[in-house]
Amino acid sequence: MISIDNVTVGYGTAGFITAVDQVSLTIGDNEIIGIAGESGSGKSTLMRAVYGDFSTGLGIKSGTIKGRFTDAATGQVIEKPSSQFRDLWWDQISYIPQGSMSVLNPLMKIEQQVIDGLPKRERGGGRKALRQRIATFLAGFGLEENVLDAYPHQLSGGMRQRVLVAIAAFVNPRLILADEPTTALDVVVQKKILLMMVEIQRRLQNTLVLVSHDLGVHYQITDRLVIMYKGRIVEAGRTADIFANPQHDYTRNLIASLPRLHGKRAVDRVGAGA
Amino acid sequence: MHLLRYIAGRLVVYALVIVFALTVLFFVPRLGPTDPVEAMLAKVASQGAYMDPAQVDKLRQSLIDTFGLGGSLWEQYGAFVNRIIFSADFGPSLSMYPTPVMELIWNALPWTFGLLLSSTLIAWVLGNFVGLLSGWRPNSNSSRVMEGIAICLYPIPYYILALVLSILFSYVWKIFPLTTTIRGAPWSWELVSSIVWNSFLPAMSIVIVVFGWWVISVKAQTTALKEEEFARYARLKGLSDGRILTRYILPNALLPQITFLALQIGLMFNGSLITEILFDYPGLGLLIYTAVLQGDFNLLMGTISLSVIAVATATMIIDLIYPLLDPRIRHR
Repeated sequence: MISIDNVTVGYGTAGFITAVDQVSLTIGDNEIIGIAGESGSGKSTLMRAVYGDFSTGLGIKSGTIKGRFTDAATGQVIEKPSSQFRDLWWDQISYIPQGSMSVLNPLMKIEQQVIDGLPKRERGGGRKALRQRIATFLAGFGLEENVLDAYPHQLSGGMRQRVLVAIAAFVNPRLILADEPTTALDVVVQKKILLMMVEIQRRLQNTLVLVSHDLGVHYQITDRLVIMYKGRIVEAGRTADIFANPQHDYTRNLIASLPRLHGKRAVDRVGAGA
Repeated sequence: MHLLRYIAGRLVVYALVIVFALTVLFFVPRLGPTDPVEAMLAKVASQGAYMDPAQVDKLRQSLIDTFGLGGSLWEQYGAFVNRIIFSADFGPSLSMYPTPVMELIWNALPWTFGLLLSSTLIAWVLGNFVGLLSGWRPNSNSSRVMEGIAICLYPIPYYILALVLSILFSYVWKIFPLTTTIRGAPWSWELVSSIVWNSFLPAMSIVIVVFGWWVISVKAQTTALKEEEFARYARLKGLSDGRILTRYILPNALLPQITFLALQIGLMFNGSLITEILFDYPGLGLLIYTAVLQGDFNLLMGTISLSVIAVATATMIIDLIYPLLDPRIRHR
């Protein structure tokens, strides 16, 4: 679906600052792939480059990111570099932002915010029928129909994030990119939303790319995991394998820093032993 | 329920503002040095008629009675409240005796309102439009030119600009009339064109001065909103620039502009004084000017009370429609 070939991405034109350094990665059909790493590791930059959001000075210095999509209706195969993904946005590709207070337009009802940007194929059947379909879809997220007539400030943080997931999923895209979709939420709500995302992916059989610094999140839902550190991929593989047998020191540190149910977390034990 | 309480609260504030303003208005001119009765007597004396002191005293007494200036300050205030609040009667004009003040005001009011309201609104719409576009593409040439013009116009003191316009377009190039003379039968085409022709220069002077400020403030709003997360999200949805601008940026940019518009309308009558004097425009401002020069208490009271009421009403109306525009206020 997406092949990233030895790509270097960074910011600025005069003084280029590298954020992602010679990364290669293949993102396949029908999988949930996680990108983990600390702040500044380049994971969000990589995600923006894959989405094709080359604004605010972001640019590819070398290498390529290519996408290959099959239009479900026409069967037509679309192949192009990510810099030309713009006309695939909210059609083949959609995006789940981190749901802070200001991601949704404060002066627009939720219904309109779901509809805005939808591709033609998902709009059919007139306004009423569309509203009914959205309402049914939102019900699957535990959101009642009156949410459609609400303004963003009337929803809780968890509801807003569920709305954002629903907006991205209602597009029925082949690829969903999620940037820290659960970071601002408490663990109970977080878990609910993660399970919804898995359920959607299994139903649509599409690809979900999840960017998060939280290894616990990756452990719960991803099939494959990529660990980034200082702009490079230091480890990639099946999530279960990485957790069972981490190869890189950085990965081991990350896993060791996870809180545990019984006893102290591994880092504390290491510290106590030293 | 919340809405009712909001409206009721707003109405109470409205009434209090007006009563307070009227009270201040009553006392301030009575602290001034001009005495309208003595001014009237002097006027009579200057016309050359001879009167003996007893006759003068009698005339003085009857003038004090007609003008309602007899008794202590508090008695006058009581009578004033009674007349103004319960029958909206400001009495006869002292300088244009015996024409009632209300009649003078009703003749002048449409001129002032028509001129100021239309020019304020034109400036607002134009300024917001230009500011929005130049904030959206801040680096384009047209945006830079517009901002340059706005920055040049904004700091010019109003009376300088009005004088320059008047000198250039009515004196050097005799395009527009120097003073206002309206001609034509009521409701005729001639009358309408005469009004537009005579109002053009004063209206332009207001539009030009206010326009620059709107451009600068909306531009700043738009540039900030463009970087907001919801604007970025809308862009990443693949929405067209036009749609992001009209549905995402514009409504959010206009909210504070509506508050500013209310304040602008509040300041409108200040401006009217200078505009109407400079262009000899037959509105409320000119009436206030005459009233001050002639020590015409009643006329002064009437004109200023009316501008207070008009401003308070305009602000209240804007306050009441604000919840319709911003859902965050509506549901609180």
